[in-house]
Amino acid sequence: MTLGPPSSAVYLNLSYRIPSVTIHPTALFSILDHHLRRTDAQQRVIGTLLGTRGEGDGAVTVRSAFAVLHSETSEQVAVDMDYHRAMFELSQRVNPKEIIVGWYSTGSNLNTYSALIQNFYSQETAPYPAIHIALNTGTQVGEDAGVKAYVSSPVGVFPKPENAVFVPIPVTLRANDAERSGLHLLENAPTSPVGELAQLESTLNDVLEMLDRVLEYAQEAAAGNPADAALGRYLMDALGGGVEELGKGGFASSLQDTLMMSYLANLVRAQAEVSARLALMTAL
Amino acid sequence: MAAAIAASLPAPQAASAPAAPIHEPIPASMAKLIDIEAEIPLKYVQLEGLVISKIVKHSSESHSSVHGLLLGLDLDGTLEVTNSFPLPHNLGDEDEKSSKTTSRYQTAMLRSLKEVRADDSVVGFYQSTTMGAFYSQTIIDTQAIHQEKLRQGGVVVVHDLSRANRGNASFRAFRLSKDFLDAYRRPPFSAKSMISHKLTFNSIMEEIPLKIRTNPLLSAFVSTLSERHLSPLAEPTPAEVYRTSLHPLYSTLNLGNPTLTKNLENVVEAIDNYKTEEGNLAYHTRQIAREKARAEAYIAKQKEENANRLAQGLAPLPEDDVSRLFKIPPEPSRLESMMLLGQVDAYAKTLEGTSSLSLVKMYAARAGTDAGRDSP
Repeated sequence: MTLGPPSSAVYLNLSYRIPSVTIHPTALFSILDHHLRRTDAQQRVIGTLLGTRGEGDGAVTVRSAFAVLHSETSEQVAVDMDYHRAMFELSQRVNPKEIIVGWYSTGSNLNTYSALIQNFYSQETAPYPAIHIALNTGTQVGEDAGVKAYVSSPVGVFPKPENAVFVPIPVTLRANDAERSGLHLLENAPTSPVGELAQLESTLNDVLEMLDRVLEYAQEAAAGNPADAALGRYLMDALGGGVEELGKGGFASSLQDTLMMSYLANLVRAQAEVSARLALMTAL
Repeated sequence: MAAAIAASLPAPQAASAPAAPIHEPIPASMAKLIDIEAEIPLKYVQLEGLVISKIVKHSSESHSSVHGLLLGLDLDGTLEVTNSFPLPHNLGDEDEKSSKTTSRYQTAMLRSLKEVRADDSVVGFYQSTTMGAFYSQTIIDTQAIHQEKLRQGGVVVVHDLSRANRGNASFRAFRLSKDFLDAYRRPPFSAKSMISHKLTFNSIMEEIPLKIRTNPLLSAFVSTLSERHLSPLAEPTPAEVYRTSLHPLYSTLNLGNPTLTKNLENVVEAIDNYKTEEGNLAYHTRQIAREKARAEAYIAKQKEENANRLAQGLAPLPEDDVSRLFKIPPEPSRLESMMLLGQVDAYAKTLEGTSSLSLVKMYAARAGTDAGRDSP
């Protein structure tokens, strides 16, 4: 699941290997929440990204994020480093595996201050490069919501902390099965969690709808309308998939097992209920 | 232009003289929502998108059950949970030191969150579980404390990890029922108290309806993520025509159910535990009965002897203090056995749910085979 267009930075010849960045939804949502709670005076918010780094390839997985106080004026930029350290120590208590991998800011504005902050976080993540995630909330007219990731490299004959080149690197969104099901709830919000049967029903209805569309397309093709041969072959591959196992007696035995399971579960529940009621009776 | 980054925030200028805070008058439309004494009862619990994702992340990281605190505010009967943070996992023993460090962690975290303008009032806690069984002594102890201390009593949000892994994120909000709390606060939790409060495992907790909300910024962002774009490739294969950051969810359609065996094992284990506990209770009950019988026999014997002495015209012997001679053990607590029964029921309920689910899926899959086509 890629976020944004592919980056050409993978072909750049830098002194270190370009890490690939994977980001989990929790980190994104924390950033959005922080952006929502900023003061009126703040143009953007920044914070620390926590995650893990792969052993061999240096692939960075951003798992969570926390907000850090900072202020920017035309004269100076300040980051509350004490706060950053204290928060990091707190999060270590719960999740010692997550280390500092970089920082985030909202908006897509990279300036001198970004370079300075990047310089600070590079010290925190040394010897690895710090990752910078710029999350555009899309609230400004003419800007698309999106996520970009950068690493920095020094620039100039005499490198100074306020000068840096931000090199875009590829970033992908990843959610494991559990996170994906949580996201599914958020896609349909506002809502209430539904039971498994209800959810299965809506998913099956989706599948039926898609089958109808495919059927319509196939009938049009059969009637002689121009159709895409590649698409036809793809559909055949996708729909020809075998469930032969079920056809050859597998269905009946599976059915028996499942019914048995259902019967057993009901029996246990009934017994539990009776036992609970009896406990109320015995001492009478 | 600054050449270095300042390590801490500049002190706020113009040392703000503590001017008297100006309170704006409360608009008339809000007046009935002002609820200082928490008198409006809770009708709903509302979880923010951020909380959902944080709970799911925390639960899926650990194999054992995890817990954390919920932060937010209640407004007009809806408990709005806007943030959460995980609590460190206590390793086994719940000694004084670990509970002290946990409470220190909690205060530090709340203070830090307040600094970045996040909500910092605790409204309850969350607990992850597998296979739907979440009754435990700790959850009830914690919630009993919360219900006493927190405004509105607090809630416990239970997240079922095994269902989330199957593609159905489940969140349920509970609090202890009034009857149970009454019985719990007046130990011993004996059979008599159970009967007078009419308690079964079903009436330990009462469920509060739960809603999920995303703020506009988050829902805009999520819909951007799930938007489909045409592939930039010149001749994409049909599978790659559209690209999206967020694929639709179809894991609910998976036919296999890898947790079924585990679930069965859980049911059996829970029943075993319950049986052991019942055995213990029966042993205790017999012990009490035996001691009581011995005490009664002693009293009867003494009475008989006194009657004899009276008949012979002698003075009766002084009556001994029976309770000092015979130690009748206290009646055992029924709480443990009740909760174990609750576990049995919850595991069986999950088993029932999954088996009915796979029944539907099996018939759906058969519709795709030849056998399904031949026989209607």
